[in-house]
Amino acid sequence: MKKVLLLGLMLLFVGAAAFAQGRVVTGTVTSGEDRLPLPGASVLVKGTTIGAATDLDGKFSLNVPDGRNVLVISFTGFVDQEISLGNRTQIVIELQPDISSLGEVIVTGYGTTPKREVTGAVSSVKGDVIANLPLQSFDRALQGRAAGVQVRSANGLPGGAVNIRIRGVGSINAGNEPLFIIDGVQLNNQSNASFTQSNPLAFLNPNDIESMEILKDAASAAIYGSQAANGVVIITTKRGKQGKARFEFNAFGGQTQPMKYLDVLGGSEWYNMRKEAWINSGNALPEANTLSNMARLPANWQTLTAADLDAIGQGLQTYDWQREVMGTGKIQNYELSVSGGDDKTTFFLSGSYNYQESSFKPVDFERGTVRLALSHQATPRLNIETSINLSTFQQNIPFAVGGAFLGNPAFSSSAVLPHNPIYNEDGTFNTAIGGVLGQNVVLVNAYNSGLQRTNTVVGNIVANYKILDNLVFRSLFGLDYRLLQGESYRDPRTPDGAGVVGRASEQSDWRTRFITTQTLNWNKTFNSVHNVSGIFGLEYVSETRQGLSGAGIGFPTFQFRTIQSSATPESISGFWTGYKRAGAFISGSYDYKKKYLATITARYDGSSRFGANNQFGLFPSIRVGWNIVEESFLKNSEAVSDLKLRASYGKTGNDQIGNFAARGLYGGGGNYAGQAGIRPSSLANLNLGWESNVTFNLGLDYGFLSNRITGSLDVFDRRTRDLLLDQPIIWTNGFSDIANNVGELQNKGIEFEVSTINIDKGGFRWNTSFNFTYIKNQIISLYDDLQFLPANPGLAVGQPVGNPQNDGVAAPGSFFAATYAGVNPATGRPMWYDINGNITYLPLAADRQYQGSNLATTFGGLNNTFFYKGFELTAFFTYEYGAVVTDGQYSFLRENGTRLTLNALREVHDRRWTTPGQITDIPRNLTTNAGNEARGAGRNSGSAGLLKADFIRLAQLTFAYSFSPTLVRNLGLTRARIYAQGLNLWTYTDYPGYDPEFVGAGTGQIPMTKNYTIGVQIGF
Amino acid sequence: MKNMKFINKIVLSFVFAGTFLFTSCDDLLQVEPRQSIDANGALNTPDALSAALNSVYARLRPVSNYGRDLLALSDALADVGQTTSNSGRLIGENNNQPNAHFGAGFWANSYFAINEANLILAALPAVQGASAAQLARWEGEAKFLRALYYFDLVKVYSYIPTAIYTPGVTDEGGIPLVLEGVITSDAALSRQSSRATIDQVYTQIYTDLESAKTLLTSRGTYFASSAAASALLSRVALYRGDWAKSVAESTTALASTVGTVLSGQAYINGWRAEVNPESMFEVRFAIPAEAIGVNESLQTSYTTLLNLTANKNSQGGWGDFIPNARVRGFFGLTQLQLGNPATDNNNWDVTRNSDIRAFLYTTGNTVRGAGRQIESIKFASKNGFAYGDNVPVIRKSEMHLNRAEANYHIPGNEGAALTELNAFKGLRGLPAVALTGQALLDEILLERFKEFAFEGHRWFDLKRYGRDVVKTTPVVNLAFDDFKILPPIPQREVDGNPNLNQNRGY
Repeated sequence: MKKVLLLGLMLLFVGAAAFAQGRVVTGTVTSGEDRLPLPGASVLVKGTTIGAATDLDGKFSLNVPDGRNVLVISFTGFVDQEISLGNRTQIVIELQPDISSLGEVIVTGYGTTPKREVTGAVSSVKGDVIANLPLQSFDRALQGRAAGVQVRSANGLPGGAVNIRIRGVGSINAGNEPLFIIDGVQLNNQSNASFTQSNPLAFLNPNDIESMEILKDAASAAIYGSQAANGVVIITTKRGKQGKARFEFNAFGGQTQPMKYLDVLGGSEWYNMRKEAWINSGNALPEANTLSNMARLPANWQTLTAADLDAIGQGLQTYDWQREVMGTGKIQNYELSVSGGDDKTTFFLSGSYNYQESSFKPVDFERGTVRLALSHQATPRLNIETSINLSTFQQNIPFAVGGAFLGNPAFSSSAVLPHNPIYNEDGTFNTAIGGVLGQNVVLVNAYNSGLQRTNTVVGNIVANYKILDNLVFRSLFGLDYRLLQGESYRDPRTPDGAGVVGRASEQSDWRTRFITTQTLNWNKTFNSVHNVSGIFGLEYVSETRQGLSGAGIGFPTFQFRTIQSSATPESISGFWTGYKRAGAFISGSYDYKKKYLATITARYDGSSRFGANNQFGLFPSIRVGWNIVEESFLKNSEAVSDLKLRASYGKTGNDQIGNFAARGLYGGGGNYAGQAGIRPSSLANLNLGWESNVTFNLGLDYGFLSNRITGSLDVFDRRTRDLLLDQPIIWTNGFSDIANNVGELQNKGIEFEVSTINIDKGGFRWNTSFNFTYIKNQIISLYDDLQFLPANPGLAVGQPVGNPQNDGVAAPGSFFAATYAGVNPATGRPMWYDINGNITYLPLAADRQYQGSNLATTFGGLNNTFFYKGFELTAFFTYEYGAVVTDGQYSFLRENGTRLTLNALREVHDRRWTTPGQITDIPRNLTTNAGNEARGAGRNSGSAGLLKADFIRLAQLTFAYSFSPTLVRNLGLTRARIYAQGLNLWTYTDYPGYDPEFVGAGTGQIPMTKNYTIGVQIGF
Repeated sequence: MKNMKFINKIVLSFVFAGTFLFTSCDDLLQVEPRQSIDANGALNTPDALSAALNSVYARLRPVSNYGRDLLALSDALADVGQTTSNSGRLIGENNNQPNAHFGAGFWANSYFAINEANLILAALPAVQGASAAQLARWEGEAKFLRALYYFDLVKVYSYIPTAIYTPGVTDEGGIPLVLEGVITSDAALSRQSSRATIDQVYTQIYTDLESAKTLLTSRGTYFASSAAASALLSRVALYRGDWAKSVAESTTALASTVGTVLSGQAYINGWRAEVNPESMFEVRFAIPAEAIGVNESLQTSYTTLLNLTANKNSQGGWGDFIPNARVRGFFGLTQLQLGNPATDNNNWDVTRNSDIRAFLYTTGNTVRGAGRQIESIKFASKNGFAYGDNVPVIRKSEMHLNRAEANYHIPGNEGAALTELNAFKGLRGLPAVALTGQALLDEILLERFKEFAFEGHRWFDLKRYGRDVVKTTPVVNLAFDDFKILPPIPQREVDGNPNLNQNRGY
């Protein structure tokens, strides 16, 4: 930006020097992207050195000599434009953004690199791509945007957990979370909310993001050493631009809607199903037993005939519990930003408010943010900058994040017996609910309450000092501070609160992370062809986390809902933990004429988490590139406008384990009879060290037809060695496991990205971008030549691991279960294959086979954008293939009410075996009192309950209109845009549960929603 | 120029700050935990040793041990009751489905407790500033607890010495017998214990209990005492067929001041008190936070009632496992409507015969959907909070039944057995019987069944006589030669330890 201005000023002087003849031409240069004026664009009379730079309003004035008729207008990031003046003395020029991004600069480790010189595997997502999406955290918005990056929502909680995996799952027991860096501050994105999921990354308003860079290969990430094993996501937030203050107002509002209601049975249908089960079980009183199961058996039933009882059953009503607790929710978002500055100081200030409700009331998310970025050139050599993000968000909590709790509406609403009315005739809640789910979840939902609040400060202060013109010292101090507070109240009027006469629980959890980075950047060009640069740096991180929690029971009345009103303290607890990390790093780059490129980096890191003998680790890397397009034979080719071959090899580390995992400890635990207890909690491992990732990456960046087709292709082999594995200890030795460095895991795959301009004619433009990722994950080795882990045989050599649901959870193994063989057509009994392929009713441990894991092998996204005269249509699809999952909610409903008195899915019920000779996969209905047949394996055993979670989803559909600049200017504005947007409008899948996109057990989780919004953006 | 100096100062201070942070690498990465202590020398003080011993007691509390499984799950395996499907729990165990048995948690938790006891015993010589009395008490309690855990493990995972089933060449044997504590990774990774013989395990239990007997006095029924050691020894001897020993130890236990044998209403009141006066050793649940909860506690397993003083309509536990027709028959239990309306659960109770133990049963409520059932209320919020009742491990009444049964097997003592049985029946409100031979033994075992229904004895009483398990609701019988008499040893233990043989059939 500054360079452009300088250039412009220079041109201005040149222009002034060449005065006299000719005519004066004035004009305005605007951006075709947002139609805002472009200050600092250069306007040059073609064939001369006469030129001018535009001022802060994008205006210029120029003396054009006689005989000259063509102006060349250029600006970084935009396509140069030549314009014939004809007779005009006043012109308006709209520059089109250079989407081939030849000049694009990519943020890499501790610096920036022009995209043409990037030699690692780096994906970049611009802030405007994810702007104004009704999503609470930016990680969610990355889904489908970059090859190699798999993103899944854990559930539909607004601001809830997001599962992000860069190039697969690389660790079993250590974390799989990438390193997130915002404005140089390395964040801890662990979620510690007790009463709901609070994604720490939701603190940031996604619209404050300028760009996100994802460092995928180990060589690019190695400069972050021990933190980089799972990739690095570098977020750059918006900063001020020189010029007069520019205001931007942004607002959208809309609705969330459930994507799906499960089609479950009605009252009399359930009666008939259960009656059939009793008859099949050989019961003599099927009608009476069924009515008893439904709590509808009259006291005088022994005086009634079977036909009388049946009439009661056939007359049962149906109540739609799902539609009672699920419904539409509100979305609101307002923000105002102002940016500007002079030649010494620039600023960016923004404030925002965001509100979103889930499909399950009262679960919601409400956030306010304030952000300030300042930059000041104190002296020609010293620049000082700061960036401060303040944020608070609070969420009304669900009954539970997940689980088969009776009071959990997300579990019970589809599973409660449908003949139960929700309200009594007088409008009060019905509390006599028949069936195993004996709670009125609508009542529970209405009476319980709770809040989870997250306050975050992420900020830095930075000084850049030019020691020499080519040597810059940069000093950064950063802070990531988070305070989590939560409260939950179980109302005494609800069954869970009645026993204890109300329970109030509280949580406070605060975390302070301090980081400082000191770097020296140096560069020099020798003989105009040898470009050399280097970085040296030191970094230190210290983090402590502390918390308090407690619960009290016994409340005078339900109006008293805070902990101080409780009669009996039920529990009180707290914790303290901390860790420290220190590292030094060095990086050197060399290129010859930008044609042959090479970078070497090394980092030496120490972490307090590791054993005394092994606290430090070295992480080297090398990257090389060949810009083939710079070779003479391609230099002037239009067909091949960009071609670069890259290769990289590097090592990164993972230390995402417990802060004291290497220590042999006695911890508190085992209190008895009112006296405190202690017990051994972990075994010492003095040799515990890094889990390392070694990745070999081969890549090709291409651009064809003047970069109308651009993209990249990467193949990689990521090996995780010395896995931080919780090696099982046989229990007879008193412990479960020990953290140890054993085993090896591989993720190898292919990533493909392509962006095309399909049509660009007559003001109509159609852009397409597509990405595709295929990853094969497998365990290469364990220890002691074991073929599978004794404690978890799903973790086996040659088999993929699963995707852990969140941080702190071990990666599950592959599903290891007997293969389901369907139903015996003669009897309706479920069958499995034994290890020899023969049919068995009772599969044994030896019959288990590997059935795949919940880690998708293939995923990506497809985006199409159409522009025409201010209109813009965007359709963005994401897809996933290859994951095998269990869905607890579906599994419960798949039992067809045979084990517990739960409702059933209609499509499952319709497939049940009823007549000899019928070929189906759903066994005949039975009760648990059916003797030896019920004694067999359960109907969901083995692979019977496994589901494929493949889908293609229309994740985003946006229709927008930008008003023409002239109209806008007449209104005193600089820009005006309106849009309508829909998220998750359509999903192609044959998944029988709520949604194939979830992480975790699936039981009682709140599913994702469809979101509809309309919005407006105004600049002035 | 002045400005330049100022800037130089800033740069210098940054550089200084940067290097300062890296001066001492040792401190740089030093973080000490605040809620744990280093395992080395952790048990060198009297306070630490006492605290460590508390943890060994506390490991009796989980669901896998006395929190539920050693009582409710055992009885579900046996012929004591039937399941309601209210929460779906204990159905597989009650149907004796393969693998529906004592689980991995029981094995793991018990061996963790044994390791902790072993570490305590090894640490005793190094404790500084302990009195001789303290040392004796710690050693005695650690040995008592180790014996109890080993006895619970061996009675579950192995055949009982009085009835060892030997199908051909396979001998399931006892269980791994580890007497040395593990606290280092070397030992934890290298020790691969094989199964000791059943006899070796029982011998070790004898050794520990004999030692505990001499070392201990009594400090309340929550803790091990010399009398509790004798009482446990009396049961172990009964399981071993060491009849004279069982008689002698029962006599010692009965003579002690620990625990009281109760009769009549006092006996029922004993089940309403926080500490049952009958208990010689009882597992303590001190505070609501230690309660096991609405899903898996003994209370919730047995009854839908929240407690015995509140409205019967209040939603309580699940009531998953209830007496079967045979047990209802023991006490003359049938549902009895006391008033109107019939929908009010308070208007219901049960009919009862003269057996005082009938008052340990009543009707539950209809909140859980399976209709009103007759339920056991031995565990029903007697500690003043729900789902955390103290669990009697040894009640003094058992000593009478142990001695009667042991005497029956000692030639010439059958008369003493009958006398003791009749005296005991008198305490429970039952008429005397005049039986001899097998009929007398069956009557003693029947009395044991009635006395300890829902306390987890029945499965092992059937097992130690090699009897088949006969069930009527549903009709699923289990013959003594069926492999499902024994649970599988946790597969991870077998996979991770080539010296450990799995039980037959798994």
